Amino acid sequence: MLTKLTQWSRLKSPWILHLNTGACNACDIEVVAALTPRFDVERFGILLKATPRHADVIVCTGPATRQMKDRLIRIYEQTPDPKFVIAVGACAMSGCVYRGAYNVIGGIDQVIPVDVYVPGCPVRPDAVIDGVVKLLNKLKG
Amino acid sequence: MKFQIPIGPQHPALKEPISLRMTVEGEIIRDADIRLGYNHRGLEKLAEQKTWIQNIYLTERICGICSHSHTTCYVQGVEKLMELEPPKRGLYIRTLVAELERVHSHLLWLGVAGHEAGFDSFFMYTWRDREIVMDILEIITGNRVHYGINTIGGVRRDLDEQQIKHILDSLSVLRQRSEYYKHLGTNEPSFVARLAGVGYLSREDAIALCAVGPTLRASGVPMDVRKDDPYAVYDEVPFEVCTAETGDVLGRTVVRIKELFQCYNIIEYLLKNLPSGPVAVRAPRRAKPNEVVSRYEAPRGENIHYIKSNGTDKPERLKVRAPTLGNYAATIKMLKNGFIADVPLIFAAIDPCICCAERAVSLVDARTGQEKIIVMNDLKRLSRRLSAGNIRKREAEWPL
Amino acid sequence: MNDQTLIDKAKASLGDKVLDITNPAPRRIFIKLKVDDLLAAVNWLKNEMGFTHLATITGVDLGQAFELIYHFANSFTCVNLRTEIPRDNPLLPSICQLIPGAVLYERELQDMFGIVVQNIPDGRPLVLPDDWPAGNYPLRKDWKYERPPEVIPGGKR
Ligand code: SF4
Repeated sequence: MLTKLTQWSRLKSPWILHLNTGACNACDIEVVAALTPRFDVERFGILLKATPRHADVIVCTGPATRQMKDRLIRIYEQTPDPKFVIAVGACAMSGCVYRGAYNVIGGIDQVIPVDVYVPGCPVRPDAVIDGVVKLLNKLKG
Repeated sequence: MKFQIPIGPQHPALKEPISLRMTVEGEIIRDADIRLGYNHRGLEKLAEQKTWIQNIYLTERICGICSHSHTTCYVQGVEKLMELEPPKRGLYIRTLVAELERVHSHLLWLGVAGHEAGFDSFFMYTWRDREIVMDILEIITGNRVHYGINTIGGVRRDLDEQQIKHILDSLSVLRQRSEYYKHLGTNEPSFVARLAGVGYLSREDAIALCAVGPTLRASGVPMDVRKDDPYAVYDEVPFEVCTAETGDVLGRTVVRIKELFQCYNIIEYLLKNLPSGPVAVRAPRRAKPNEVVSRYEAPRGENIHYIKSNGTDKPERLKVRAPTLGNYAATIKMLKNGFIADVPLIFAAIDPCICCAERAVSLVDARTGQEKIIVMNDLKRLSRRLSAGNIRKREAEWPL
Repeated sequence: MNDQTLIDKAKASLGDKVLDITNPAPRRIFIKLKVDDLLAAVNWLKNEMGFTHLATITGVDLGQAFELIYHFANSFTCVNLRTEIPRDNPLLPSICQLIPGAVLYERELQDMFGIVVQNIPDGRPLVLPDDWPAGNYPLRKDWKYERPPEVIPGGKR
């Protein structure tokens, strides 16, 4: 009963934390654009939170830079369980054009485990929403 | 009693990770220090390993909001190195995309400023209208943010009649909405009161600290690369350089709103006078050994690229100075002796936007948290005394 | 004022300090100087010619030497002061007393090329990460980067 309730509430209100780990801003503004009237993710109960301690889902944009690596791990640890990570954009998946630059480690998955990958450079806001909904389906199953 | 507050590098709303360390006394910031490098990717080194064409797409990904400005700046330089003369129609389309980008960037900024001032409906309104611009950009270039329209020797896509008509129609909607924002942003008393007098930068300081773009123009210095050093077709297009005298965040808002209207005029002029002909010329693969300095007025300020070629198909050196870096020194000046509560606003005002002081709380450890409790009483007393003495804020005038 | 008058004035005021002066394109002037004369030239540009806006400082690795280009701009032209310092003794005077806004660019130079800027008001690292190994200067031409092998999470399938 209780597990059902928690699962229901988890599905209905995934709170997200948006984290830029060295992205070029394009992915970030598209994530923010997903919040605005045209796309409006709040329909799905998705809310952008300011601190990792309130969040369920970390939305990462950008390749992991060397300087951000430790911070990324720290933020991941600060997020309460159960936590999920969505890698948004080609950078977060593999490094995109920055692959091979000296200060870039690679995709987010080199540092923390990732649940959903959303491709695109930059991703469209619709794709961000689709990614979150896919994650919800994964949770259900 | 002094203590330090770290802000960053993680923050919820927007843009680059950056870390600020502020020494505060009560509510007042005594010193600020910026640590960059969270977003440092080693792009200048990477550019030396890529070909001229590949580098267009690399420079495009320096920044997602002014992606077109970086490519244009780069491509202009390379065209000079290769001694190419892009056709007129290509240049017109390039300028058109540049101005559309400026519109989207300024609308975005207005929204962010509204958000930081606690005026969230303004944020939602401007971002709704920003979608109109994004639609235009998507129609003419095929992508919402990274347009990929520039190529060495011109642009990659042409415009047709239908698209021109669509742009002109959308433009009239945008004009109408911007009138409303102009009214709102400069007459709404609580909004104006929040912005006026915050983040003051005098004319002398703005010049000495090498500020650029709207930050500089809001301090009354009419410097705009489009006028001073015309590139593309700006020497044919009539427009004005917008300035404000107040030197505070309100001034920067006013400059940007005025520039929006200039942009609409420029776009209209470009579309009405679009010459016919090809949009690009063929480019060689190599460039002779030479060097060039290329300047461009991005929405945030002057963008400067130094390109050196060595006769191969790869650059010898590509140096990029993005406008935000030019503004950091000025930002520190603006932050000093201001209130903590103004940090997000001031930072947002130069438009790299490290916003949301609440993010600070998320990373402040228990130690500083405790210190904060100790000074709470001090803090109240201090802030009361200070707000009484804060003449600048009360004397601020409405600009329009 | 146009480019030619500026070139004439530069020749008149700086005299034999100017090693070379070129004007490859309209509104682009390159002046070559010895590094010892740099401060004098910046002072002249700022106080007599009114070039208060330093756009940036570029460093280029020429192999035996580092070339530094100071890009100044004002409303009618863009002046680039060019100087060279030897690679084995990379000392550079700071221009922060004259142009306070230069500090970030000088810090960047220190990070990326290992140039020692003398009298810099604030010489901490700017762009490189905290755990960056000392003595590595990414923009030197002989510095090569090897990408460590990436792991595929969950293994290859
Ligand atoms: S995926 Fe593309 S748009 Fe997104 S951060 Fe990377 S380079 Fe920028």
